[in-house]
Amino acid sequence: MEVKETYNGKIREATIGLGDTAVTVGGETSLPLYMFEGAAPNKPVIALEVYDTKPEDWPEAAIAPYADVLDDPVKWALKCQDEYKADMICLNLASTNPSTGDRNGADIAPIVKAVADAIKIPLIVYGTANADKDAEVMPKAAEACQGKRALIGPVEEENYKTVAAAALGFDHLAAPHSPIDVNIAKQLNILITQLGLAPERVIIDPTTGALGYGLEYCYSVMERLRLAAMTQNDSMTQMPMINQIGREVWKAKEVKTSEADEPAWGDAETRGVLWEALTATALIMAGSNILVMRHPKAVELTRQFVAALTGATN
Amino acid sequence: MSKLIASSAIRGAHSLYNKAEAAYNAALAAKGADQPVSFPDTAYYLPVAYALLAIKVKTLGDIQPVLAKAKSMLPDIPAEDAWLPYLGNTLDSGIAALLSEEIIEAMKYVMGPNPVEGIWLGATDDVIVRTQGIKLVDGSMPGFAAVVGAAPTTEEAVKLATELRERNILLFMAGETDGKTMADQLNEAGVEMGWDVYLVPFGRDISAAVYALGVAARAAMTFGGITPGGMKEAREILMYNKNRVFAFVIALGDVDDEKYATAAGAINFGFPVIANTDIPQILPTGITTYEHVVSNVPLDKIVDTAVEVRGIKIKITKIPIPVSFGSAFEGERIRKEAMFVEFGGQKSPAFEYLRMRDMDDIDNGKIEVIGPEIDQMEEGKAYPLGILIEVAGRKMQSDFEPVLERQLHHLVNGAEGIWHMGQRDMNWMRISKSAHEKGFKIEHFGEILKAKLMDDFPAIVDKIQIKLYTDADKMKEVLEEARAAFIARDERVAGLIDESVDTFYSCTLCQSFAPNHVCVISPERLGLCGAYNWLDAKAAHEINPTGANQPIIKGETIDERRGQWVGVNELVRAKSNNSVQQVNAYSIMEDPETSCGCFECVVAILPIANGVMVVNREHTGETPVGMKFSSLAGSVGGGAQTPGFLGVGRQYITSGKFIAAEGGFKRIVWMPKELKEALAGQLKKRSEALGLPDFVDMIADETIGTTEEEVMEYMAKVGHPALEMDSLLG
Repeated sequence: MEVKETYNGKIREATIGLGDTAVTVGGETSLPLYMFEGAAPNKPVIALEVYDTKPEDWPEAAIAPYADVLDDPVKWALKCQDEYKADMICLNLASTNPSTGDRNGADIAPIVKAVADAIKIPLIVYGTANADKDAEVMPKAAEACQGKRALIGPVEEENYKTVAAAALGFDHLAAPHSPIDVNIAKQLNILITQLGLAPERVIIDPTTGALGYGLEYCYSVMERLRLAAMTQNDSMTQMPMINQIGREVWKAKEVKTSEADEPAWGDAETRGVLWEALTATALIMAGSNILVMRHPKAVELTRQFVAALTGATN
Repeated sequence: MSKLIASSAIRGAHSLYNKAEAAYNAALAAKGADQPVSFPDTAYYLPVAYALLAIKVKTLGDIQPVLAKAKSMLPDIPAEDAWLPYLGNTLDSGIAALLSEEIIEAMKYVMGPNPVEGIWLGATDDVIVRTQGIKLVDGSMPGFAAVVGAAPTTEEAVKLATELRERNILLFMAGETDGKTMADQLNEAGVEMGWDVYLVPFGRDISAAVYALGVAARAAMTFGGITPGGMKEAREILMYNKNRVFAFVIALGDVDDEKYATAAGAINFGFPVIANTDIPQILPTGITTYEHVVSNVPLDKIVDTAVEVRGIKIKITKIPIPVSFGSAFEGERIRKEAMFVEFGGQKSPAFEYLRMRDMDDIDNGKIEVIGPEIDQMEEGKAYPLGILIEVAGRKMQSDFEPVLERQLHHLVNGAEGIWHMGQRDMNWMRISKSAHEKGFKIEHFGEILKAKLMDDFPAIVDKIQIKLYTDADKMKEVLEEARAAFIARDERVAGLIDESVDTFYSCTLCQSFAPNHVCVISPERLGLCGAYNWLDAKAAHEINPTGANQPIIKGETIDERRGQWVGVNELVRAKSNNSVQQVNAYSIMEDPETSCGCFECVVAILPIANGVMVVNREHTGETPVGMKFSSLAGSVGGGAQTPGFLGVGRQYITSGKFIAAEGGFKRIVWMPKELKEALAGQLKKRSEALGLPDFVDMIADETIGTTEEEVMEYMAKVGHPALEMDSLLG
């Protein structure tokens, strides 16, 4: 006997970018990957990370694919686009972090503009999740990429008015970020949409935990958001979701430790790539729509997984 | 509706229309219909015409329908002896005036003189609208003021500009009084102007005031996501401005016809007009949130009046006190050796009392120290301190007084080197030596309370004034009033029973870890964490309408004894993600309420003893049910219904509705000594109310026993009433 669940909810479709290269995510009418119960018109997409300054603390395996471009965010973004075939670019404004670079909005605006103008694929711009600093930086970043319909994040409870208003004012999408908390995720969505941002311009960032670092907690929160969206038709949870995978995975001890230090753990690159791909595939099963990743080989594995599950080809 | 205002506005609109038509015809004759027309760097054409009429003006020819529409909205100028103008006519003439002014200004861009000249900035580009709009949306810029005319003197102009800037209110300037504009005055005084400093001179002519409405219209289109289409969208754009863009007009000096017409245009956007001259007022509300036109306001009161009439909330970003402030300091203790002076704590008379007043009775922001300041106090001594906080707000209710007053504890404790405990007239405060050395004064208590109450409760606190009494004689009268109020409040709370209200409140604050748990908060059953009673929940809902406390209309009663209502069931079903179908508010055995994990106490049945035990979180020892609090908590929490077990707030124990379905208070056979002592007064009162004055002594505690057998022996010995009651297990 075949038992099928019917759902009364649906995930909204959201489109990032404009024109031919715009990317649409969401639109599912069943729980994640339950293709036998509903439709998933848009497969999960992968954004590659680009940083506004050369990263200092990356393990060798993560640096290698980008060694020639780490100094130049524009070249880096183009390499992700042209060579590694990223669906999107996620520009991280790490240098605005008050405890490291503390650069301000005016400093990074030219970088954001240069990257936005150089790439054809859609842009995601992320601050450092320092609420006060992001409130100063993100309006400038949003202004610098106006006309691109980028995704601006993270929007936090403490600064949602400013950062979401920046997305609203410069015609972008916003990524509200909640600390692994269904209620705050929902509450932020309510607050942001009350501010005037259409729900079709909201992508939930539920907080990402890497494998071994809270992945299961993150998974269950995403699962609950999807259950609320599908089975309870809860409008304020029916947005696509984004996960910041690369930066979480590549700081895990199991990924950063070299083979020299832990010979039994084997090749560091293979380890890191698998760690990232496993985290990504788990989150796809939890309903992730946009995976922000770091290593091109992990991206490749994740793509194979998506293709195998959805029958989609790249 | 004042006939004078209506007639003036209509005459002004006619005059502006004629000027627009003349300027347009001149431009058309010179440049032809295909001549491009635009304001610089905007995608919104002539923004007011686009917003209200959905007409995209790109060429001179496109202006024709705008003019035609303006003309069609012009009412006839009323005859001297006729009494006919209504608000509708005035508002229409306001729209006609704005459309005309926009054309007048646009023609300047076509024919000259260039509106951007000298100090004048002319039209605003889209990037500025977006950048400034973010500040309007996030509240860092609470609103904007459009000033028309000039202040009586340059000094007064500077003072007005300073007052607005201190509140982060953006100031637009246009129009003159006797050949002088406010921007001229600021310029003469050497005040720097521009968008960065919140002082924006648009133009010398009154028609330049339309740029302010152009900013407002674009704010609605950009941030409200409204695309012009017709009347419906035009209305949405106006409503967006009324509800979200906190702007107002300050009319300085003589108000001529064209200024009246422009003001009428602004009223359409929900922007009230405050004047310093004696023009007729329009007080009834309707289009604007509160009054429409308030006149004859002295210049030094004009900003406060405007802020009040427009309902603007000012954000205080930094509290002006010489010590740090933050929740990190809440836990600090100040021992006697570290103390400079103290107040209350049985050592000196002290109180804290917050009361509601009428808006007019409050001198907003005033802090008064009545009696000696700290520099007249000696180290190590106790002094009197009475804190009287008076608040007013259009949404304030007297029921919120205690809710706000209770904030005082954590607010005052937030200051570094300041310690507070207790409440009402049983409070106790200390100022540390280090805080004193840094310059902390009595008046700073006022600064903290003013800033935080305004900032944390903007929905209900519009105005505040604070009196700090350090003179025992002078505080006597207020102290008596406060005591009378405390008694009245207690009576109000005592009189609040579940049957007396039709609305309960839900609390889903804990759903982050107990996803299916909902507290149903009624007057006689507070939240199980003990932190939210019915009044708190009511206030919390008013303060944050989308928050965790939502009203529940009780609806039809299903079971009065057990406390079950249709409305409550529906809400619990929805909020518990359909996992709880029905709850009995007053039962521990049948469909009891769920528990999250933060309950102050656990109630558990002792089936053989035919009663219940109550254990509080602080009690670490064994209990007669065979489990310590920690194990009990594990089996009770998590948002499941567990018959026989209940997580509760302490205050619920002595409520008239405490497990009423199972016989209530008289079922209690055991509770820890510490809890008995903490609740001694209330337990006694409740016992007496039930006609069992010795009942408290019949409740066993850990000194009597921690097994059900020992409890039963004791019950038999003292003749506990539970022995005679129906079997708990039915």
